[in-house]
Amino acid sequence: MDSNFTSFFWIFVYMKGSFIWYTQRYTSLIILSYLIYIFSFIFNNQDINFFSWSDFFLSFQVRFLSSIVFLVIVLHAFIGLWTVGTDYLTKRTLGFLNVSLSRRADTLRYIYYLIFGLLGIMYLTAIFYIIWL
Amino acid sequence: MFGNKLKVSLYRYNPEEDKFPYMKNYIIDKPERDIMVLDLLHLLKEEDQSISYRRSCREGVCGSDGMNINGKNGLACITPISSVIKRNKIELRPLPGLPVIRDLVVDMTEFYAQYEKIKPFLQNETTAPEQERLQSPEERDKLDGLYECILCACCSTSCPSFWWNPDKFVGPAALLQAYRFLADSRDLKTQERLEALSDPFSVYRCHGIMNCVNVCPKGLNPNKAIGEIKSMLHKNKKDIIVSDGV
Repeated sequence: MDSNFTSFFWIFVYMKGSFIWYTQRYTSLIILSYLIYIFSFIFNNQDINFFSWSDFFLSFQVRFLSSIVFLVIVLHAFIGLWTVGTDYLTKRTLGFLNVSLSRRADTLRYIYYLIFGLLGIMYLTAIFYIIWL
Repeated sequence: MFGNKLKVSLYRYNPEEDKFPYMKNYIIDKPERDIMVLDLLHLLKEEDQSISYRRSCREGVCGSDGMNINGKNGLACITPISSVIKRNKIELRPLPGLPVIRDLVVDMTEFYAQYEKIKPFLQNETTAPEQERLQSPEERDKLDGLYECILCACCSTSCPSFWWNPDKFVGPAALLQAYRFLADSRDLKTQERLEALSDPFSVYRCHGIMNCVNVCPKGLNPNKAIGEIKSMLHKNKKDIIVSDGV
């Protein structure tokens, strides 16, 4: 395989397809389970108010679960974005649109990864700040 | 709109003369009986000798005349015009995603490279028996729906994953053949075959949109075969995380 193609995200290249496949499916199941957990709290507490909601989210258990789930959301999203990048931001695909764009495909793809990588870090930082501080 | 006339819009490109491809319209008398798209092309070629297309057996066995007919890939020789005609119009284009050599003739190098990659032959290093390697009827049944592929490329060229990564994603046609050998009880290189397909691109770029199933002129189901390969890869516990053969 062309090592330049995804050298920036080598980890995905050397991982087995089945591992990435499983990761994406299991992370989606974790996200679904978390949502069910949150909704079950809402539906099981008819007289829900600010204090019960606040107590629920300030418990260590929910804080810990939320942290795990948001990490998992970023991982899940990143696999999807990596797939989109390697599909649509390649020399070949951009070449369908424009030759000069095609020549810059690798750079554009790295910028795309960098932007979403930074967004992921910012998102997690904000989430952890909200959850723990 | 055209009464008993038929409008055929044909993709034309001659790299020696044309800077860009273009669509050329031909208006012909509507054939009295239902003919195949390939026969229609023969009629057009009588009118315009410069039209280029591949054909050979004209009965859906050789897979030479795969093309895009009114937006759907198919074999021209077994596609009746009555099944594709829309408002007295038929649009014929080359198979999508492959470089065009001329008119409806495409360069299938990438398609065959993927076919070569899956090693489409029996690998069995044990001493060959005097006559033949035997299979039980049940073992032979597993190959039905797999061996019939004629490599017309209609499926692979209708697959967006193959358009974007034809050098890395093996494509439905070659994956159907990969499973044909994985399922064959006489083939002993199952582990090696699975290892070669275990990277994130070869098989896992199939997202199951089933365009391949929709267009296969032989009624085969590459998507099911890909599912079987994924299932075998998941059961193959050896080195599940890191791939060394990418």
